[in-house]
Amino acid sequence: MTDNENNSINENMLKIFDDLYSLLDENIQDINFKRIDQEEKLSPVDLIVVVKKEQINSFLMQLKSNPKLNFNYLRCLTAIDYADEGIEIVYQVYSIDNLYNLTVKSHLSNDDLYIDSATNIWKGANWHERETSEMFGVIFNNHPDPRNLLLPEDMTDVFPLRKSHPLAEIEVLQGEDIEPSVGS
Amino acid sequence: MDKISNQEIKTQEILVNMGPQHPSTHGVFRMVLSVDGEMITDVTPYIGYLHRGAEKLCETMDYRQGIGFMDRTEYLANFNAELSYVMAVEKLLNIEVPERANWIRMILVELNRLSSHFMFVGAFGVDTGVFGTPFLYSFRERERLIDFFEEISGDRMMYAYFRPGGLAWDVPNNFEQRIEEVLHSSEQGIKDMDQLLTNNEIFLARTKQVGIINRDDAIDWGMSGPSLRASGVDYDIRKAEPYLYYDQIDFNVITGNNGDVFDRYYVRLQEMKQSISIVKQCLKKLVDGSVLADGASRNLRTPPGEVYIRTEAPRGEYGIYLISDGDNRPYRLKIRSAGFSNLQALRDMVVGAYIPDAVVILGSIDIVLGEVDR
Repeated sequence: MTDNENNSINENMLKIFDDLYSLLDENIQDINFKRIDQEEKLSPVDLIVVVKKEQINSFLMQLKSNPKLNFNYLRCLTAIDYADEGIEIVYQVYSIDNLYNLTVKSHLSNDDLYIDSATNIWKGANWHERETSEMFGVIFNNHPDPRNLLLPEDMTDVFPLRKSHPLAEIEVLQGEDIEPSVGS
Repeated sequence: MDKISNQEIKTQEILVNMGPQHPSTHGVFRMVLSVDGEMITDVTPYIGYLHRGAEKLCETMDYRQGIGFMDRTEYLANFNAELSYVMAVEKLLNIEVPERANWIRMILVELNRLSSHFMFVGAFGVDTGVFGTPFLYSFRERERLIDFFEEISGDRMMYAYFRPGGLAWDVPNNFEQRIEEVLHSSEQGIKDMDQLLTNNEIFLARTKQVGIINRDDAIDWGMSGPSLRASGVDYDIRKAEPYLYYDQIDFNVITGNNGDVFDRYYVRLQEMKQSISIVKQCLKKLVDGSVLADGASRNLRTPPGEVYIRTEAPRGEYGIYLISDGDNRPYRLKIRSAGFSNLQALRDMVVGAYIPDAVVILGSIDIVLGEVDR
């Protein structure tokens, strides 16, 4: 693909995105346009949209069902732990037919770690959500199969990818007052 | 199939456990099959036996140490895994990689694709019941490739040869001559495989019209790589979003029609020929010069930001989602592995098939459990 084609795709996408923006502006907290530079062959996280968690399901549904957008492919779903500031759920969606990229984010506060599942939109969200759930303690509402995926079945009270979780267990040395060594 | 299941004779549904220690699961993978006679009515996959917490470990290691973890997640296509990672770091650092380093990277990832697919074809032969010949022939070819990688990087499997900013060191002087030797034997190896398997009647009977997944389902499950292309989706990241110098290279994206096991095999076999052609074109364009960018120091500190880099690995999209807070190590690193998403679709392919087909279907997705579990 030449740079010109690449640019026209991005411009089309921005146009379509303007439409979507006017359609959904009350749902979108913050919109962050990042144009792909001409010289850059690989785009970074191209275009980021932050959506309130209450609207996430209807927003994602619209991304997929709107024939202009047609985001039919969920690349990746994960979470980032910002310690006291809560957890961010990140969706990397892609349109195989139009070659559009989009990153959708939704913010969860630490006292309300519930978000709607995207499994009714993309079947592929299933395992990604199970992994995110066991690693971060986020609960996906209406998930068809909310068991642990990678971790042992009974390991439901420990969330290894949280920043508060130490890499190594604290060593308790018997009968000695030695400072235990803790992994970061 | 409907005829059989509608017959009046009822059999009791039983559960059959397969794995985790099973030679056909390509690692430690377990699935519980519900069977009605010989037919599979449901399947529950269990993964995680190889989970080592690579993402968490990478958060505690600096950027150079992370390269080693990429090798250990995708241990059959290490160069491809390293490539995604170093490109993500380079993107954050905004450093320009020397031209020579990029050409060598392209040659190595394509050769690694070749060795990974040889592994697939050989193991797939065993899955379909052709024990011995194809397996040994393909391993002989893979061995030649791995010997070559060892000459370059010093290790047979865990290369850790790519660095943010270029390569660890330049390739040996006989690089081009050795590639020609390796390619020559690989070409013969592909022909051998083709003759041993592709038109073998027993092989065709085991693979044709088995484990079909259609285009829309494959996309919906997030499948990628040859497994997706076998269902007729013309999607290859090397073409859709060219990285390195793939836009200067002439190659075809191979797609299948039926999305069955045979197509997944045949797409890979054809892809190997394309890889050879890509390597030959790269060799012609290889230039002299430095292999490491000036700005790449030992202890890298990236500016805050986030980046998602995807490359076309032998099994599909290998993505690295890297979030930096300005430290010398990632704040969060997410590895999006192709096998993880491809394996999810297993249920759609296996339900309705017969018990021996489950092994063939699993083999056709070409999973690497190290990559699935991370």
